[in-house]
Amino acid sequence: MSGRRNGNRIRGPQSALTDFLAANNISAAQIRDDHERRQREARNNGEGPSIAAGAAATPATGEDGADEDVVEIDEEEEERVREDSKKRKRKGEVEALEKIKKAKAGKGKGKEEKGKSKGKGKTKGKKGKKGDPDDDDDGDSDDDFDPDDLSRDMYKKSRPLPGQFEHCEICSKRFTVTPYNIEGPDGGLVCTPCGKELKKDVKAEKKSAAKQPQGRKRRKLESDRLDGLVNRGAKSLQQMCIETVAKHHDDVEELGDMPAPLVERLSQIFSKQRVLKPKTLPLFLRPDLQSVVLHDAAYLEADDYKQIFAVVPNVQKLVLGNTCQMKDEAMEYMLERCSKLKHVQLYASNLVSTEMWEKFFTVMGGRLESLALKWLDNALEDESVEVMARECRNIRRLKFKLCRRLGERAVAAIATLPKLQHLSLQLSRDVSNESLISLIEQRGPKLLTLSLEKFLDADDSLLAAIHSHCRSLQKLRVSENDTITDAAFTSLFTAWPNASLVFADFNATRDIDNNNSDGPLEDPIGLGSAGFTALMAHSGQALKHLDISSCRHIDLVALSEAFCSSDAVYPALEYINVSFCSRVDTEVVEGIFKACPALKKLVAFGCFDVGAVRVPGSVVLIGVPRAREGIEQFGGYFDGDGVGIQGIEIGGMAVEVGA
Amino acid sequence: MATLSQFVTLVSSDDFSFIVLRSAACLSGVIRRMLDPACIIFSHASLLYSVLTLTDGFVEARTNTCHFENISGMVLEKVCEYMYYNEKHRDGKDVPDMDIPPELCLELLMASDYLDSACPSLLHMALLTAA
Repeated sequence: MSGRRNGNRIRGPQSALTDFLAANNISAAQIRDDHERRQREARNNGEGPSIAAGAAATPATGEDGADEDVVEIDEEEEERVREDSKKRKRKGEVEALEKIKKAKAGKGKGKEEKGKSKGKGKTKGKKGKKGDPDDDDDGDSDDDFDPDDLSRDMYKKSRPLPGQFEHCEICSKRFTVTPYNIEGPDGGLVCTPCGKELKKDVKAEKKSAAKQPQGRKRRKLESDRLDGLVNRGAKSLQQMCIETVAKHHDDVEELGDMPAPLVERLSQIFSKQRVLKPKTLPLFLRPDLQSVVLHDAAYLEADDYKQIFAVVPNVQKLVLGNTCQMKDEAMEYMLERCSKLKHVQLYASNLVSTEMWEKFFTVMGGRLESLALKWLDNALEDESVEVMARECRNIRRLKFKLCRRLGERAVAAIATLPKLQHLSLQLSRDVSNESLISLIEQRGPKLLTLSLEKFLDADDSLLAAIHSHCRSLQKLRVSENDTITDAAFTSLFTAWPNASLVFADFNATRDIDNNNSDGPLEDPIGLGSAGFTALMAHSGQALKHLDISSCRHIDLVALSEAFCSSDAVYPALEYINVSFCSRVDTEVVEGIFKACPALKKLVAFGCFDVGAVRVPGSVVLIGVPRAREGIEQFGGYFDGDGVGIQGIEIGGMAVEVGA
Repeated sequence: MATLSQFVTLVSSDDFSFIVLRSAACLSGVIRRMLDPACIIFSHASLLYSVLTLTDGFVEARTNTCHFENISGMVLEKVCEYMYYNEKHRDGKDVPDMDIPPELCLELLMASDYLDSACPSLLHMALLTAA
């Protein structure tokens, strides 16, 4: 009976606080007991730092209370008491931690531990503060309750146990709590689908904030340097705007009224970044344009070409690179539609058949003034060039590079073009010296530009012909040849009535013999010392662009004389390429800087004797392989008296394979 | 002749005025010539708001004010921001790029082309890129 009666014990209404504590396994009675116990102990230990009666005091008042008391007591006792309280705290902490571990079971975070530790009163309130257990507020940790925190915690909902239902914070749907649900932005739980979304967002953020791969900034610097964009000062506003447009190319709908040079510049950037696609193509097509310049038409399909010609029928200058997908129909349409076409430059248009080319020449006839074709594998034949020579008598500018089927007869046909001024040839088939000489004899006097690349068997007689027939050359390139001797170069430039050249390129004219890398010493092959000296003597004053890369037979004496002597001045030189001339050393480079005030770019790959150079601020030096682990020296310009201050230099670059 | 004022005023098409340092504004060749009192007049521009006089130079030079009827206020503000940014980083290395909102960049590009701001010139850049 008594048992029944005992079992019937009525429980009165419980307060919210009691409910909360009970739910978190905190026993109020236990807290009270511990507290009283501690007070007793403290009192028993003498007038230690007093513990203000039970009530939740703010840390501030707690501190004040402690301080006053500390003043009263002498040091020793204080120390002892402090130590004791520390010990107590530590013991208490351990107890608390154990309790926490036991009670943890899927409950989250610091709220419980906060609650518990506050209940135990050992550590200072907030769990996250691993700070100092030995706080200055000796032993007053019970009283370091922050009432605000505690009340906040009380009203915060504790995380429900797995198995219970909860409403999602974001979508308010009811779902079952699992140990894997994550918290939403306001602290409540979210359901699984919303949780996935949140995780995705976090991941995307992290990805965009992730560090770029290591070498990227350095590579960008190098790439800019090779483009000639100097590293000092701020970028121009145009440059920055163009970069922004290229970055947001997807969003650009129309270019509006932009002037033609800007449109061309934009098309260059788009081509470089390979975003010139059918979608962005319309940006560059405007009915009033006279020239269409698209350097990378690789993504454009047959219909896109027709679109170009449809939208811009008055085009006069057409420059299309990588025109791999241009077919006969497109060209047919072009011939029909564009009646003003004068300058045509098509690279890699391999789908156009030979018949189509011949039709092209026939229809264009006298309209065609410049033609540049590169990378034609199977189509353009010698016969087609003969048709061209017959029909298009007004051609001034002609460039055939890497057209595999052209050979000797093509050269013979070209020789008959009466108005030819600029000629550039690089053919794969063998061409005899006689044809070349005959070409120069017929066209030489009027030629302004002559570029003969990779005619491996061309010999001295070619240069002799140039010397006797060419009188108005401004740009001359004879490169990649291993037959012409230095003596021929010397006699070309000596007493040549032709005016000073503006552009001279003799790269890779040297002897190729692996057994004898210096070449025959008595009779050097390729542009050698004597030839180089004669070249600079003849053209030094007006020369803007000089390329003698891989002319490794030029010796140090000639280079020093050309650049290091005290009266050497080349006022117009802007670009010099001395790559793989192994005799170039630091003095030569410094001499170049002094002698060429207008210099913008010096390319010196593979010049291993070049050491620490002082680079003036206006010059970009590329390719010096001195591996100083990318030490960059910043600096200024030439002083008035020509003393250079250290400029920008990058070492440790990859050496270009060549020679 | 009195010394030139340190500040000049740039006025946009919608009547926003921006008072900037003369040294910053003269980054643009067009502005520099408009404000130069010694400049001989070969005025062609239908777009320039300037009055031919036989004596002193453009009216802009006398009033130290330039009106731009084809540049809006928002764009002109960015232009002024760029001028100061350029001046501040004139000799710096690795300068961080100025932030350009994509909505504005096309108009800004045209304005900068008109104002001929800073070197290198467009043709130069094109040549360098093609090289």
